[in-house]
Amino acid sequence: MSGERSALGAALGAALLARLGLVLYGVYQDGAMRVRYTDVDYRVFTDAARLVAEGRSPYRRATYRYTPLLAWLLTPNVYLAEAFGKLLFVVGDLAAAVIAYQALRQRGAGARQACGCCATAWLLNPLPMAVSSRGNAEALVALLVLATLYFVEVGSIGKAAACYGLAVHVKIYPLTYALPVALHLQSRRCSREGAINAGCDRKARPTFAGYLWQLCVKMLNCDTLFFGAVAGSVLAALTIVFYHLYGWEFLEHAYLYHLTRRDIRHNFSPYFYMLYLTAESKWSFFLGLAAFLPQLLLLLVASVVFYRDLVFCCFLHTAIFVSFNKVCTSQYFVWYICLLPLVMPNVKMSWRRGLLLLFLWFVGQGLWLAPAYFLEFRGYNTFLLVWLAGLFFLFINSFILSQIISHYQKEVRVAKDLKQQ
Amino acid sequence: QAVLIPDAVDVEAPEYLATDLLLLLYMEPDPRCSSCFSAALPVHGRYHRPAEDSEEVLVVLKSPEVLACCCDNRLRTECWKPAEVEAPCSGTVDSPCRWYSVTHKPTYEELILHIPVGLRQHSSLVCALTLLTTVLCSSLILAALCKHGQFS
Repeated sequence: MSGERSALGAALGAALLARLGLVLYGVYQDGAMRVRYTDVDYRVFTDAARLVAEGRSPYRRATYRYTPLLAWLLTPNVYLAEAFGKLLFVVGDLAAAVIAYQALRQRGAGARQACGCCATAWLLNPLPMAVSSRGNAEALVALLVLATLYFVEVGSIGKAAACYGLAVHVKIYPLTYALPVALHLQSRRCSREGAINAGCDRKARPTFAGYLWQLCVKMLNCDTLFFGAVAGSVLAALTIVFYHLYGWEFLEHAYLYHLTRRDIRHNFSPYFYMLYLTAESKWSFFLGLAAFLPQLLLLLVASVVFYRDLVFCCFLHTAIFVSFNKVCTSQYFVWYICLLPLVMPNVKMSWRRGLLLLFLWFVGQGLWLAPAYFLEFRGYNTFLLVWLAGLFFLFINSFILSQIISHYQKEVRVAKDLKQQ
Repeated sequence: QAVLIPDAVDVEAPEYLATDLLLLLYMEPDPRCSSCFSAALPVHGRYHRPAEDSEEVLVVLKSPEVLACCCDNRLRTECWKPAEVEAPCSGTVDSPCRWYSVTHKPTYEELILHIPVGLRQHSSLVCALTLLTTVLCSSLILAALCKHGQFS
């Protein structure tokens, strides 16, 4: 028992040192070089926190499109030190790892396997390290999503729903988890109560449509309704309080902007060039809709097919959502990387295949970053190359996802883990 | 120090939707030479509309207007004239000072920014190939989901 704790403690310690090192390096680079290490968003958070400390609305700060809670949390940036926020996000990272570890143990993974998954996929992964040390707040959403999934695993529906409501308030994307959570809760209820309950009748269904209809009916059960009520209340309460404090600006910037956002500037999304060229044409609306349909279809099918394993389903959801979204930046990858430690024990593939897929993922990003650098910092017209790299990156992401799906196995092999030790 | 008027700028807007703004840059005396002032300003171009046939748009950066302040005790002949511009004395917007335009000769020619833009003639190809790729990629994932999914 103490061995497990010390292994996790060592991983946490190493992760903390690495992140603190990056924060210190960031302070140096910001002062010494022209290209700042700290993300522009962190400047926005700090300015908004300053406004809140003066008793004004954080939405006076242009491009502040987050929850007021974040500005409130970062007011020590103004009173203590500007690096406070980054340290808070680093702590968020580590807390997320601890929750992921607990969730893995709850799902039946051995201590060593759980620690290994958390360490490789999250704690020692350079991407979340860079994201938090640069001052992006993704660690907080990751923490809330992991807490939601942990509480569902443990069976505390109320706590899960509260975390979920808060997560949706902070970032809109967890809203897509509503369907898998609803389907999952009704399946757990059925497996708990056995075949006695008529609602769980598993007679042969003649059609796919009939199967879908049965699912819809089964979703309306106690657990799902309780989850919906608590999450809805938390979200409504936060919305009402902040609307009362900050008015229409809050709704516009914190919620509506993200739902209607269309960024024509270059980003990882495969749609960016199409949206840029057709921004002012009459086809703009229909193309936007056409871009939304594959995302919607994939999310629906993934929910219906994998809801029994909620964690895997949410991982697929987020990965599909990010890859097929109209806007995609590298911060978004953290949204599904935080679920990777929980998914890893169930995806049985060889080390070589895993490393090859990881390598392909980085190659895809590199092929995009190179022409994007020349476009943004050197002024070369590399639009076609950036666009083609975006399409290729989508293909790589789709290939990796299909490989993960085809190597997924439901049970976590605890015996195999013991043998490997 | 710099003052932007208006102070709320939409930094994400493309060029055709962006509003004009005025930037007041307060220059510091250059320590390396007396009666010299220096300032450095990074410039980042906005996205422009896609063009019909040229790969880039030319934006001319004209010389800035140089203003001198009559807020210290040194008398200059310009200070006797009525004030031309009323602008903040320094970074704070509270107290206005009177500023006078100083005639100067730019030592460099006009700077021209070459901003890359998308080409409209690519529209059909880009739309078709993008949508085709997304359909193919979604089919790849759909096939995996339907083949390995849990339907029981």
